[in-house]
Amino acid sequence: MSTTEHATTGQPTTEHPPHPSVKRYWQIALFLGVVTAIEVAIAYIPDLDRTVLTVGLVGLGIIKFGSVVGWFMHLRFENKTMNRLFAIGLVLALGLFFIVLATFSGILSS
Amino acid sequence: MATETAVHGPTGTDGADIRKTAMWGFLGSECLFFGSFIATFLLYSDETNGGPGTEVFDIPFTSVSSFVLLMSSLTMVLAHNAYERDDNRQLRIWLVATALLGTVFLGGQVFEFTTFYAEGLRMDVSPFGSAFFVLTGFHGAHVAVGVLMLTSMIILSRRGQLYRHRGMNVELVGLYWHFVDIVWIVIFTVVYLLQV
Repeated sequence: MSTTEHATTGQPTTEHPPHPSVKRYWQIALFLGVVTAIEVAIAYIPDLDRTVLTVGLVGLGIIKFGSVVGWFMHLRFENKTMNRLFAIGLVLALGLFFIVLATFSGILSS
Repeated sequence: MATETAVHGPTGTDGADIRKTAMWGFLGSECLFFGSFIATFLLYSDETNGGPGTEVFDIPFTSVSSFVLLMSSLTMVLAHNAYERDDNRQLRIWLVATALLGTVFLGGQVFEFTTFYAEGLRMDVSPFGSAFFVLTGFHGAHVAVGVLMLTSMIILSRRGQLYRHRGMNVELVGLYWHFVDIVWIVIFTVVYLLQV
């Protein structure tokens, strides 16, 4: 992303690189649909090791999450401020998530 | 200091639309909001007090609902694409499609809640029930707010009052809508698939 001066105000304005094409959006949606189908299929595999199941489903979930945020929400094309604002929220949420689980499940209260 | 530009509205010192920057900050705070509820659900997922637990989940049905919400993200981004091209007809078509898909998702959630209630899973029966209904209920409320915002966009577009530089625009509503979708991606994985 580049920054140039606005013609009349002299203020810097943000120029986005071209957003993905309509065809690319359909391809991403197809990809997301296929990943969802794989997730459901994995959840129904009998006697699958719990760790493998968890890692597989969480991994696929992260791929879907990243695809929507990066391509549909265009975060990969946005400036650092927006990326940081969202990243801060996400990191704090994950931190809170693990602290709550660790505290109330007894790991931290021995 | 914010400066008004003709196309993007008020911009910050980095040249970006401050409404969009604010929306990303808001969405970051929403991560904390839903992260707390998801953690609480995991904490209480085994505490059913002898009542129904995760066995009442209908994964095939919820998978279809998830697919519907996922595809609403596609129609939303296509609406945004039409908005960028100033194609108002395509914009309205895709906004209507997104609102309809969101409504279908909400209908599915109402059906699911009704079924669970009939099977004895209620908010006041167990910590599991409370955590489940609060988490998915708040998400449903977010979807409902999104549908209302989409409906407003459709009406404003019909009236020719959809301005890029003033108030909420299609891009901001789109960011909110996609966020609702990514929250469901997490809920579907953690609350449904990992519990079966």
